[in-house]
Amino acid sequence: MHGLGELEAAVMDVLWRTPEPMKVRDVLDGLDTGKQLAYTTVLTVLDNLHRKGWVQRELEGKAYRYEPTTSRAEAAANAVRELLNSSGDPDEVLLHFARSASEHETELLRKALPRRSRKK
Amino acid sequence: MTVAAALLATAGLTGLLAPRQLVRLAARGADPLVPLLAWLASTVSVVATAALAVTLLLLPDHGSHVLARAHECWSSLEHGMAPSVEAAGGAVGLVLLAGLLVRLTVVSVRGTRRRASRRRDHLAALRVAARREPGSPPTLWLDHDEPLAFSLAGTPGVVVATEGLHRRLTHEQVEAVLAHERAHLKGRHHLLVAAGDALSTVLPFLPLFRRAPGVVRELVELAADAAAVRTCGVETVRAALLGVSGDGAPGSALAMGRDSVQVRLDLLARRRRPDSVRSLLTYGAACAAAMVVPTIAAFTGLLALIMVAC
Repeated sequence: MHGLGELEAAVMDVLWRTPEPMKVRDVLDGLDTGKQLAYTTVLTVLDNLHRKGWVQRELEGKAYRYEPTTSRAEAAANAVRELLNSSGDPDEVLLHFARSASEHETELLRKALPRRSRKK
Repeated sequence: MTVAAALLATAGLTGLLAPRQLVRLAARGADPLVPLLAWLASTVSVVATAALAVTLLLLPDHGSHVLARAHECWSSLEHGMAPSVEAAGGAVGLVLLAGLLVRLTVVSVRGTRRRASRRRDHLAALRVAARREPGSPPTLWLDHDEPLAFSLAGTPGVVVATEGLHRRLTHEQVEAVLAHERAHLKGRHHLLVAAGDALSTVLPFLPLFRRAPGVVRELVELAADAAAVRTCGVETVRAALLGVSGDGAPGSALAMGRDSVQVRLDLLARRRRPDSVRSLLTYGAACAAAMVVPTIAAFTGLLALIMVAC
């Protein structure tokens, strides 16, 4: 039902909602995925997130405590920056509502516009 | 020889002259898909016409049994040069064409792989950072202030939008933006863009090929606008475009798109009422016309030459 990707999002959501670093057990308790998850599953997900740089961890006693490396807003801003950067990339097949990579062609179209509307 | 030369000449002329006509067609407010498909068909047609010319050169009788009926004069026109020269020319042409097609294949395959990996990267980041709103296609909402919208190709494709849209636009205008992005996905616009990019590497000295990437990008935006107009109305789409391209935010990434947005606004202004969905027939006719025009022009030219010369 839940792919690893959805679990990662759910775990990050829990971490973002909590101000202080959390143990795996706390994350597991905070998760609301509609079914009981194994402790090791959450551990694996947190491990993956750590490897990908989404969370940082600190050893406290015998267990790690996890916290997000960025705030939710920063993560969104990073994603936006990534998308904006690549939307100008000619190799990228990502279409952006109000950006066009082709000023030259815009110029062609503008010149071809009938005069009446060009004056506007 | 003369037939082959005429075919090559019209193929070249198509590559030179078609862009201007097709852009003009788009600027006159035609359904953007018509010039777009005609453009892509024209590139195929140029290559096919050149291939036909090469084939004629290589055929032992230059395929003249098909054409010989035209006039006796034909034979004198037909052999402008010694057969060996023609055969050599044909062989060179064949090698060149085969090389170009191999290159096109390599470029396309490489591009497809690169895009798939970029898409995976984007989705990996978005899955965590964005709020997912189910639907077909699903929409991924990013909590960000700038009003932005993207569409990301794939099966299924996704629309990516920022919460900033809600802060700057009315509900109807946000719907128009989303309708525009969904039109990209539904119309497989990303594939058309990829095709334009790959084609530009085939015969880059002809404007028809060199300009394909930029023109296809422009035209798919116009096509998506037209689709949004059909569901949300001209005024809403105009307002959404104005709201998103914004007058503020100097130096923002959006500044680059402002020119393009202005052209889109001008075109929307010319479209008083939403145009109906054109039938497949129109699209088919546009493609077919683009395919046969170079060949017909070549033979018409030759026929005229025969009339004048004999």
